[in-house]
Amino acid sequence: MIAIKIVLILAIAVMFWAFRNRSRVGLRAGARVAVILLAVIAAVSIIQPSVAQAAADQLGVTRGTDLLLYLLVMVFAASSLGFYFRFRDLERRLADLTRAQAIREAVSVQGLPRGMASPALPDRTAEQRARLS
Amino acid sequence: MTEPPLANDDVWVIIRCFNESQVVRGVIEELRQHFPHVVGVDDGSRDTSSAEMVAAGAVVVRHAINLGGGAALQTGVEFALLDPQAKYFVCFDADGQHRPEDALSMVERLRRGEEDILIGSRFLGSAAGMPRSRRIVLRMARIFERLTTGVSLTDAHNGLRAFTRAFAERIDLQMADMAYASELLGLIKQSGMRYAEHPVTIQYTEYSMAKGQRSINSVNIAMDIWLHQFLKGRRR
Repeated sequence: MIAIKIVLILAIAVMFWAFRNRSRVGLRAGARVAVILLAVIAAVSIIQPSVAQAAADQLGVTRGTDLLLYLLVMVFAASSLGFYFRFRDLERRLADLTRAQAIREAVSVQGLPRGMASPALPDRTAEQRARLS
Repeated sequence: MTEPPLANDDVWVIIRCFNESQVVRGVIEELRQHFPHVVGVDDGSRDTSSAEMVAAGAVVVRHAINLGGGAALQTGVEFALLDPQAKYFVCFDADGQHRPEDALSMVERLRRGEEDILIGSRFLGSAAGMPRSRRIVLRMARIFERLTTGVSLTDAHNGLRAFTRAFAERIDLQMADMAYASELLGLIKQSGMRYAEHPVTIQYTEYSMAKGQRSINSVNIAMDIWLHQFLKGRRR
Protein backbone atom coordinates (compact mmCIF):
# COMPACT_ATOMS: atom_id res chain seq x y z
CA MET A 1 0.00 0.00 0.00
CA ILE A 2 2.93 2.35 0.62
CA ALA A 3 4.14 2.26 -3.00
CA ILE A 4 0.97 3.74 -4.46
CA LYS A 5 0.95 6.51 -1.83
CA ILE A 6 4.43 7.58 -2.82
CA VAL A 7 3.53 7.43 -6.51
CA LEU A 8 0.38 9.54 -6.06
CA ILE A 9 2.03 12.14 -3.84
CA LEU A 10 4.90 12.40 -6.31
CA ALA A 11 2.43 12.77 -9.17
CA ILE A 12 0.64 15.63 -7.39
CA ALA A 13 3.95 17.33 -6.64
CA VAL A 14 5.08 17.02 -10.26
CA MET A 15 1.75 18.36 -11.48
CA PHE A 16 1.97 21.34 -9.14
CA TRP A 17 5.51 22.10 -10.23
CA ALA A 18 4.55 21.69 -13.89
CA PHE A 19 1.72 24.21 -13.63
CA ARG A 20 3.89 26.74 -11.88
CA ASN A 21 6.39 26.43 -14.71
CA ARG A 22 3.86 25.90 -17.45
CA SER A 23 5.53 28.19 -19.94
CA ARG A 24 8.57 25.94 -20.36
CA VAL A 25 8.74 24.43 -23.81
CA GLY A 26 10.07 21.20 -22.40
CA LEU A 27 6.99 20.79 -20.27
CA ARG A 28 4.66 21.31 -23.16
CA ALA A 29 6.57 18.62 -25.01
CA GLY A 30 6.31 16.46 -21.90
CA ALA A 31 2.54 16.88 -21.87
CA ARG A 32 2.34 15.64 -25.45
CA VAL A 33 4.52 12.64 -24.66
CA ALA A 34 2.27 11.89 -21.68
CA VAL A 35 -0.76 11.88 -23.98
CA ILE A 36 0.93 9.37 -26.29
CA LEU A 37 1.93 7.29 -23.28
CA LEU A 38 -1.67 7.26 -22.05
CA ALA A 39 -2.83 6.12 -25.48
CA VAL A 40 -0.31 3.28 -25.41
CA ILE A 41 -1.44 2.26 -21.91
CA ALA A 42 -5.04 2.30 -23.10
CA ALA A 43 -4.22 0.12 -26.11
CA VAL A 44 -2.23 -2.36 -24.05
CA SER A 45 -4.89 -2.69 -21.37
CA ILE A 46 -7.53 -3.35 -24.00
CA ILE A 47 -5.48 -6.06 -25.66
CA GLN A 48 -4.30 -7.55 -22.38
CA PRO A 49 -6.75 -6.57 -19.57
CA SER A 50 -4.74 -8.33 -16.91
CA VAL A 51 -1.93 -5.72 -17.06
CA ALA A 52 -3.98 -3.36 -14.92
CA GLN A 53 -4.25 -5.97 -12.21
CA ALA A 54 -0.59 -6.87 -12.53
CA ALA A 55 0.42 -3.23 -12.16
CA ALA A 56 -1.93 -2.86 -9.19
CA ASP A 57 -0.31 -5.84 -7.49
CA GLN A 58 3.11 -4.29 -8.00
CA LEU A 59 2.01 -1.00 -6.41
CA GLY A 60 0.12 -2.57 -3.53
CA VAL A 61 -3.34 -1.61 -4.83
CA THR A 62 -6.03 -4.24 -4.35
CA ARG A 63 -7.74 -4.02 -7.72
CA GLY A 64 -6.61 -2.94 -11.16
CA THR A 65 -9.85 -0.94 -11.41
CA ASP A 66 -8.78 1.17 -8.44
CA LEU A 67 -5.46 1.91 -10.06
CA LEU A 68 -7.30 3.02 -13.18
CA LEU A 69 -9.48 5.29 -11.05
CA TYR A 70 -6.40 6.92 -9.52
CA LEU A 71 -4.98 7.49 -12.98
CA LEU A 72 -8.28 8.96 -14.16
CA VAL A 73 -8.41 11.39 -11.25
CA MET A 74 -4.88 12.60 -11.95
CA VAL A 75 -5.51 13.03 -15.66
CA PHE A 76 -8.77 14.84 -14.98
CA ALA A 77 -7.12 17.24 -12.52
CA ALA A 78 -4.31 17.98 -14.95
CA SER A 79 -6.63 18.64 -17.87
CA SER A 80 -8.94 20.82 -15.77
CA LEU A 81 -6.04 22.98 -14.68
CA GLY A 82 -4.78 23.08 -18.24
CA PHE A 83 -8.11 24.37 -19.49
CA TYR A 84 -8.33 26.85 -16.64
CA PHE A 85 -5.04 28.44 -17.64
CA ARG A 86 -5.80 28.30 -21.32
CA PHE A 87 -9.09 30.13 -20.79
CA ARG A 88 -7.49 32.66 -18.55
CA ASP A 89 -4.79 33.47 -21.06
CA LEU A 90 -7.42 33.80 -23.75
CA GLU A 91 -9.45 36.14 -21.58
CA ARG A 92 -6.39 38.24 -21.00
CA ARG A 93 -5.67 38.49 -24.70
CA LEU A 94 -9.27 39.44 -25.34
CA ALA A 95 -9.06 42.11 -22.63
CA ASP A 96 -5.86 43.55 -24.09
CA LEU A 97 -7.35 43.59 -27.57
CA THR A 98 -10.58 45.22 -26.44
CA ARG A 99 -8.78 47.85 -24.41
CA ALA A 100 -6.42 48.75 -27.23
CA GLN A 101 -9.31 49.01 -29.67
CA ALA A 102 -11.30 51.18 -27.25
CA ILE A 103 -8.47 53.66 -26.79
CA ARG A 104 -7.76 53.85 -30.50
CA GLU A 105 -11.38 54.44 -31.30
CA ALA A 106 -11.74 57.09 -28.61
CA VAL A 107 -8.68 58.92 -29.91
CA SER A 108 -9.75 58.72 -33.55
CA VAL A 109 -13.27 59.97 -32.80
CA GLN A 110 -12.65 62.50 -30.04
CA GLY A 111 -8.96 63.21 -30.50
CA LEU A 112 -6.30 62.88 -27.88
CA PRO A 113 -7.09 64.14 -24.42
CA ARG A 114 -6.66 67.93 -24.47
CA GLY A 115 -6.40 67.80 -28.30
CA MET A 116 -2.68 67.19 -28.54
CA ALA A 117 -1.06 67.99 -31.85
CA SER A 118 1.12 64.95 -32.36
CA PRO A 119 -0.55 61.65 -31.78
CA ALA A 120 1.42 59.47 -29.43
CA LEU A 121 -0.62 56.33 -29.26
CA PRO A 122 0.68 53.80 -26.80
CA ASP A 123 2.02 50.81 -28.61
CA ARG A 124 1.80 48.10 -26.06
CA THR A 125 1.55 45.34 -28.58
CA ALA A 126 5.20 44.32 -28.29
CA GLU A 127 4.92 44.18 -24.54
CA GLN A 128 1.66 42.28 -24.75
CA ARG A 129 3.14 39.87 -27.22
CA ALA A 130 5.98 39.19 -24.83
CA ARG A 131 3.50 38.59 -22.06
CA LEU A 132 1.23 36.32 -24.00
CA SER A 133 3.39 34.21 -26.22
CA MET B 1 -23.27 72.09 -19.55
CA THR B 2 -21.31 74.59 -17.50
CA GLU B 3 -17.87 75.75 -18.53
CA PRO B 4 -15.28 73.76 -16.61
CA PRO B 5 -13.17 75.69 -14.15
CA LEU B 6 -9.47 76.17 -14.77
CA ALA B 7 -8.49 74.75 -11.43
CA ASN B 8 -7.36 71.14 -11.39
CA ASP B 9 -6.38 71.32 -15.05
CA ASP B 10 -3.69 68.72 -14.35
CA VAL B 11 -6.13 66.20 -12.92
CA TRP B 12 -7.94 63.41 -14.75
CA VAL B 13 -10.87 61.72 -13.11
CA ILE B 14 -11.47 58.17 -14.29
CA ILE B 15 -14.99 56.85 -14.07
CA ARG B 16 -15.68 53.21 -14.72
CA CYS B 17 -19.18 52.62 -15.83
CA PHE B 18 -21.22 49.52 -16.57
CA ASN B 19 -24.94 50.01 -17.12
CA GLU B 20 -25.24 53.10 -14.97
CA SER B 21 -27.23 55.32 -17.35
CA GLN B 22 -29.64 56.39 -14.61
CA VAL B 23 -27.07 58.06 -12.42
CA VAL B 24 -23.78 58.52 -14.25
CA ARG B 25 -24.72 61.83 -15.86
CA GLY B 26 -25.47 63.46 -12.52
CA VAL B 27 -22.27 62.06 -11.01
CA ILE B 28 -20.09 63.43 -13.82
CA GLU B 29 -21.85 66.82 -13.92
CA GLU B 30 -21.21 67.20 -10.22
CA LEU B 31 -17.56 66.15 -10.66
CA ARG B 32 -17.04 68.58 -13.52
CA GLN B 33 -17.76 71.49 -11.22
CA HIS B 34 -14.38 70.72 -9.67
CA PHE B 35 -12.50 68.79 -12.35
CA PRO B 36 -12.43 69.80 -16.03
CA HIS B 37 -11.09 66.48 -17.28
CA VAL B 38 -13.18 63.40 -16.83
CA VAL B 39 -12.73 60.19 -18.79
CA GLY B 40 -15.61 57.76 -18.65
CA VAL B 41 -14.77 54.16 -19.42
CA ASP B 42 -17.91 52.48 -20.62
CA ASP B 43 -17.24 48.83 -19.90
CA GLY B 44 -19.51 47.41 -22.58
CA SER B 45 -22.76 48.79 -21.20
CA ARG B 46 -25.93 47.70 -22.90
CA ASP B 47 -27.75 50.89 -22.00
CA THR B 48 -27.19 54.55 -22.88
CA SER B 49 -24.35 55.09 -20.41
CA SER B 50 -21.95 56.29 -23.12
CA ALA B 51 -24.33 58.94 -24.40
CA GLU B 52 -25.08 60.10 -20.86
CA MET B 53 -21.39 60.46 -20.11
CA VAL B 54 -20.75 62.44 -23.30
CA ALA B 55 -23.72 64.66 -22.48
CA ALA B 56 -22.23 65.31 -19.06
CA GLY B 57 -19.01 66.48 -20.68
CA ALA B 58 -16.77 63.46 -20.23
CA VAL B 59 -14.48 61.94 -22.81
CA VAL B 60 -15.70 58.41 -23.36
CA VAL B 61 -13.65 55.31 -24.03
CA ARG B 62 -15.86 52.37 -24.81
CA HIS B 63 -15.02 48.71 -24.40
CA ALA B 64 -16.75 46.65 -27.06
CA ILE B 65 -17.48 43.93 -24.51
CA ASN B 66 -17.72 43.91 -20.74
CA LEU B 67 -14.34 43.17 -19.21
CA GLY B 68 -14.61 44.10 -15.56
CA GLY B 69 -13.42 46.75 -13.16
CA GLY B 70 -9.69 46.11 -13.42
CA ALA B 71 -9.59 46.32 -17.20
CA ALA B 72 -11.74 49.46 -17.19
CA LEU B 73 -9.44 51.14 -14.70
CA GLN B 74 -6.41 50.19 -16.77
CA THR B 75 -7.99 51.60 -19.93
CA GLY B 76 -8.93 54.84 -18.18
CA VAL B 77 -5.44 55.31 -16.78
CA GLU B 78 -3.81 54.57 -20.14
CA PHE B 79 -6.05 57.04 -21.89
CA ALA B 80 -5.47 59.78 -19.33
CA LEU B 81 -1.71 59.18 -19.52
CA LEU B 82 -1.86 60.25 -23.18
CA ASP B 83 -2.22 63.77 -21.82
CA PRO B 84 1.35 64.78 -20.97
CA GLN B 85 0.09 67.52 -18.68
CA ALA B 86 -1.81 65.12 -16.49
CA LYS B 87 -0.19 64.97 -13.07
CA TYR B 88 -2.87 63.51 -10.83
CA PHE B 89 -5.37 60.74 -11.41
CA VAL B 90 -8.53 60.04 -9.48
CA CYS B 91 -10.66 56.90 -9.70
CA PHE B 92 -14.29 57.51 -8.96
CA ASP B 93 -17.27 55.17 -8.96
CA ALA B 94 -20.10 55.87 -11.36
CA ASP B 95 -22.92 54.87 -9.05
CA GLY B 96 -22.88 57.97 -6.89
CA GLN B 97 -21.48 56.43 -3.73
CA HIS B 98 -18.52 58.83 -3.60
CA ARG B 99 -18.52 62.57 -3.01
CA PRO B 100 -16.58 64.94 -5.31
CA GLU B 101 -15.47 66.90 -2.21
CA ASP B 102 -13.55 63.84 -1.05
CA ALA B 103 -11.82 63.55 -4.43
CA LEU B 104 -10.97 67.23 -4.21
CA SER B 105 -9.40 66.96 -0.79
CA MET B 106 -7.44 63.89 -1.89
CA VAL B 107 -5.94 65.80 -4.83
CA GLU B 108 -5.10 68.71 -2.56
CA ARG B 109 -3.34 66.32 -0.23
CA LEU B 110 -1.38 64.77 -3.11
CA ARG B 111 -0.29 68.26 -4.17
CA ARG B 112 1.51 68.63 -0.88
CA GLY B 113 3.80 65.91 -2.21
CA GLU B 114 3.96 63.74 0.86
CA GLU B 115 2.27 60.73 -0.72
CA ASP B 116 2.04 59.19 -4.18
CA ILE B 117 -1.08 57.16 -3.62
CA LEU B 118 -4.16 57.89 -1.56
CA ILE B 119 -6.83 55.30 -0.98
CA GLY B 120 -10.23 56.24 0.35
CA SER B 121 -11.33 54.67 3.57
CA ARG B 122 -14.90 54.61 4.75
CA PHE B 123 -13.77 53.47 8.16
CA LEU B 124 -11.67 56.55 8.71
CA GLY B 125 -14.50 58.62 7.30
CA SER B 126 -18.09 57.60 7.44
CA ALA B 127 -20.33 55.17 5.70
CA ALA B 128 -23.94 56.11 6.05
CA GLY B 129 -26.26 53.14 6.05
CA MET B 130 -23.68 50.41 5.59
CA PRO B 131 -25.21 47.02 6.26
CA ARG B 132 -23.69 44.88 8.97
CA SER B 133 -22.90 42.02 6.59
CA ARG B 134 -20.89 44.36 4.38
CA ARG B 135 -18.91 45.50 7.39
CA ILE B 136 -17.99 41.92 8.27
CA VAL B 137 -16.99 41.04 4.70
CA LEU B 138 -14.80 44.12 4.45
CA ARG B 139 -13.12 43.29 7.72
CA MET B 140 -12.31 39.81 6.49
CA ALA B 141 -11.05 41.19 3.19
CA ARG B 142 -8.73 43.44 5.14
CA ILE B 143 -7.15 40.52 6.95
CA PHE B 144 -6.90 38.57 3.70
CA GLU B 145 -5.14 41.46 1.98
CA ARG B 146 -2.70 41.95 4.78
CA LEU B 147 -1.73 38.32 4.43
CA THR B 148 -1.50 38.23 0.64
CA THR B 149 -0.17 41.67 -0.27
CA GLY B 150 1.47 42.87 2.90
CA VAL B 151 -0.39 46.16 2.68
CA SER B 152 -2.42 47.00 5.71
CA LEU B 153 -5.45 49.22 5.21
CA THR B 154 -8.59 49.89 7.14
CA ASP B 155 -10.80 49.65 4.07
CA ALA B 156 -10.08 46.88 1.63
CA HIS B 157 -12.18 47.73 -1.37
CA ASN B 158 -12.81 51.39 -1.79
CA GLY B 159 -13.26 52.62 -5.34
CA LEU B 160 -12.10 56.14 -4.56
CA ARG B 161 -8.37 56.42 -5.14
CA ALA B 162 -6.00 59.18 -6.17
CA PHE B 163 -2.43 58.87 -7.33
CA THR B 164 0.35 60.69 -9.08
CA ARG B 165 1.56 60.23 -12.63
CA ALA B 166 4.59 58.31 -11.39
CA PHE B 167 2.35 55.60 -9.99
CA ALA B 168 -0.13 55.73 -12.88
CA GLU B 169 2.68 54.82 -15.25
CA ARG B 170 3.38 51.72 -13.23
CA ILE B 171 -0.15 50.41 -13.18
CA ASP B 172 -0.40 47.21 -15.16
CA LEU B 173 -3.39 45.24 -14.00
CA GLN B 174 -3.60 41.66 -15.13
CA MET B 175 -6.83 40.71 -13.44
CA ALA B 176 -9.77 42.09 -15.33
CA ASP B 177 -12.45 41.62 -12.72
CA MET B 178 -12.92 42.94 -9.20
CA ALA B 179 -9.89 41.06 -7.91
CA TYR B 180 -7.91 43.96 -9.32
CA ALA B 181 -8.30 45.87 -6.06
CA SER B 182 -6.00 43.45 -4.28
CA GLU B 183 -3.71 43.34 -7.28
CA LEU B 184 -3.44 47.11 -7.12
CA LEU B 185 -2.34 46.90 -3.49
CA GLY B 186 0.33 44.45 -4.57
CA LEU B 187 1.50 46.96 -7.18
CA ILE B 188 1.62 49.68 -4.56
CA LYS B 189 3.74 47.50 -2.34
CA GLN B 190 6.05 46.58 -5.23
CA SER B 191 6.48 50.18 -6.34
CA GLY B 192 7.71 51.16 -2.89
CA MET B 193 5.89 54.47 -3.25
CA ARG B 194 4.36 56.30 -0.34
CA TYR B 195 0.72 55.53 0.22
CA ALA B 196 -1.82 56.54 2.78
CA GLU B 197 -5.47 56.26 3.49
CA HIS B 198 -7.76 59.22 3.29
CA PRO B 199 -11.06 59.45 5.13
CA VAL B 200 -14.00 59.54 2.74
CA THR B 201 -17.73 59.33 3.04
CA ILE B 202 -19.59 56.58 1.26
CA GLN B 203 -23.20 57.24 0.49
CA TYR B 204 -25.06 53.97 0.53
CA THR B 205 -28.00 54.90 -1.62
CA GLU B 206 -30.70 52.46 -2.58
CA TYR B 207 -29.32 52.56 -6.10
CA SER B 208 -25.71 51.80 -5.17
CA MET B 209 -26.82 49.02 -2.84
CA ALA B 210 -28.78 47.35 -5.60
CA LYS B 211 -25.96 47.78 -8.10
CA GLY B 212 -23.10 46.96 -5.78
CA GLN B 213 -21.38 43.65 -5.45
CA ARG B 214 -22.95 40.80 -3.62
CA SER B 215 -20.93 39.93 -0.55
CA ILE B 216 -20.63 36.30 -1.60
CA ASN B 217 -18.59 37.41 -4.60
CA SER B 218 -15.73 38.03 -2.18
CA VAL B 219 -15.20 34.27 -2.15
CA ASN B 220 -14.62 34.33 -5.92
CA ILE B 221 -12.27 37.26 -5.60
CA ALA B 222 -10.24 35.60 -2.87
CA MET B 223 -9.91 32.39 -4.87
CA ASP B 224 -8.79 34.28 -7.97
CA ILE B 225 -6.14 36.16 -6.06
CA TRP B 226 -4.91 33.04 -4.37
CA LEU B 227 -4.61 31.14 -7.64
CA HIS B 228 -2.97 34.13 -9.27
CA GLN B 229 -0.28 34.28 -6.62
CA PHE B 230 0.11 30.59 -6.04
CA LEU B 231 0.40 29.42 -9.59
CA LYS B 232 1.90 32.65 -10.91
CA GLY B 233 -0.29 34.86 -12.99
CA ARG B 234 1.57 35.39 -16.18
CA ARG B 235 3.36 33.20 -18.61
CA ARG B 236 6.89 34.15 -19.28
